[in-house]
Amino acid sequence: MTSPFSDQSALVSIRNLTFTRGGRKIFDDISLDISRGKITAIMGPSGTGKTTLLKLIGGQLRPDSGVVQVDGIDVHRLSLGDLYELRKRMGMLFQSGALLTDLSVYENVAFPLREHTRLPESMIRSVVLMKLQAVGLRGARDLMPGQLSGGMARRVALARAIVLDPMIILYDEPFTGQDPISMGVLVQLIQDLNRGLGLTSVVVSHDVRETASIADYIYLISDGKIVGQGTPEEVDRSDSPWVRQFMHGLPDGPVHFHYPAVDYASDLLETAVSG
Amino acid sequence: MVTALQWLGQWAMGAVHKLGRAHLFALHALSGFPQVLVRFPLLVVQVYSVGVLSILLVAISGLFVGMVLGLQGYNVLSDFGAEESLGVMVAASLVRELGPVVTALLFAGRAGSALTAEIGLMKATEQLAGMEMMAVDPVKRIVAPRFLAGIVSMPLLAAMFSIIGVLGGYFVGVGLLGVDEGAFRSQMQAKIDFHEDIVNGVIKSLVFGVIVTWIAVFEGYDAVPTSEGVSRATTRSVVYSAFAVLGWDFVLTALMFGKD
Repeated sequence: MTSPFSDQSALVSIRNLTFTRGGRKIFDDISLDISRGKITAIMGPSGTGKTTLLKLIGGQLRPDSGVVQVDGIDVHRLSLGDLYELRKRMGMLFQSGALLTDLSVYENVAFPLREHTRLPESMIRSVVLMKLQAVGLRGARDLMPGQLSGGMARRVALARAIVLDPMIILYDEPFTGQDPISMGVLVQLIQDLNRGLGLTSVVVSHDVRETASIADYIYLISDGKIVGQGTPEEVDRSDSPWVRQFMHGLPDGPVHFHYPAVDYASDLLETAVSG
Repeated sequence: MVTALQWLGQWAMGAVHKLGRAHLFALHALSGFPQVLVRFPLLVVQVYSVGVLSILLVAISGLFVGMVLGLQGYNVLSDFGAEESLGVMVAASLVRELGPVVTALLFAGRAGSALTAEIGLMKATEQLAGMEMMAVDPVKRIVAPRFLAGIVSMPLLAAMFSIIGVLGGYFVGVGLLGVDEGAFRSQMQAKIDFHEDIVNGVIKSLVFGVIVTWIAVFEGYDAVPTSEGVSRATTRSVVYSAFAVLGWDFVLTALMFGKD
């Protein structure tokens, strides 16, 4: 299974990945590629393990079988030290932002620099202010995370994720719970950063319209399988009933409106008898 | 019967498993200690929040415990006409037992619970996972400085507790009840042995510092990352610390002061 950008080598390639948690198969033998320099979206209903996929790519979880390669390196064969070296080249944007609550916005963005480099303070200041400027929050540098709105917190986290100039950014549900304006801001930012910094982006989301508007390639995941893939246009035109239901948000289709239950009429009658 | 046995087995397996995790975790944190000493400001901040902020609580408790010891000791000793020995009684009780033990219990309630809640909440809000993805080891960066700060603070707090307690006993005995000042001091100086009493007390407080802080940081790190999970972990942290301190106090006392 190769993407249409196979002329460029894939930055992340996942082969025959299987992952089980609590006796449930989250991923069942899936393979996918994430092309360099592109925005790849991974979409699917809530609870299909999209976030789990990011954690597998970042090496926070181990697969039962299969291979995850990032830039040609098998993530799950690395020692902890080498894994940390690889993670310095990866940025991840958590849904909650995951900002350190006891540090100011400025110190949060400076955190990776202080941990991993011995840059002089003046250099750290310049880098931090440049990254904050990129997300439009240079003026908010002295605020504490508790004083930020959800959208602002995510933008600060984004500034922190790009402060070490990574090669790839993993976005975990970047649009969830945002008002239309900050949603628009985030959509714009993801696109601009990807182009401006030459990044590779992976966006995990179930916000179909926003994600489709910026993605170069889309994978649809359901019940541990890839059920559809292609460019946004291809996915939109897909004749698979499941893909159509998901992309257009139809209430009933292959995914039923009703949670599996015994027959409605007999269920009601049973209550009447026992009552 | 079978289910009871099953339950017991399950509980024991769980306990052993957790104990193993706690030890691996402690080793991991220990490997971060050199880094903490290099980045000394990280440690200073934690010694402040774990140790310095506990000073008032420990000082006030020490004062009252010492005063009560003075009163009770006088009542018993005066029956035998031995009230001059009040100084020895107060100082020995404090330095050998009450100083380390009561300080450790107070420390678990004041600092241990705060550590557990802080680390547990950092886990629940994905701050620890976020650090891991920034290639920063949270056990070395977050846990190690707190662990070391607890180990450093506990003996100092216990020493302070004992000193203030002796002053409280002196105030009640000499100041209020009229015990002879010279006898109080000279008997205390003559009978309290540096190795036998003071060094052993310091060792106890050091051991308790390790135990209480270890339990606190581990329970926080091991907490179920929800509000309920963090609240349970905080309760467990204080309860387990109290049990562990009292149990280990018996073991240490038996080793130090048992018949040889």
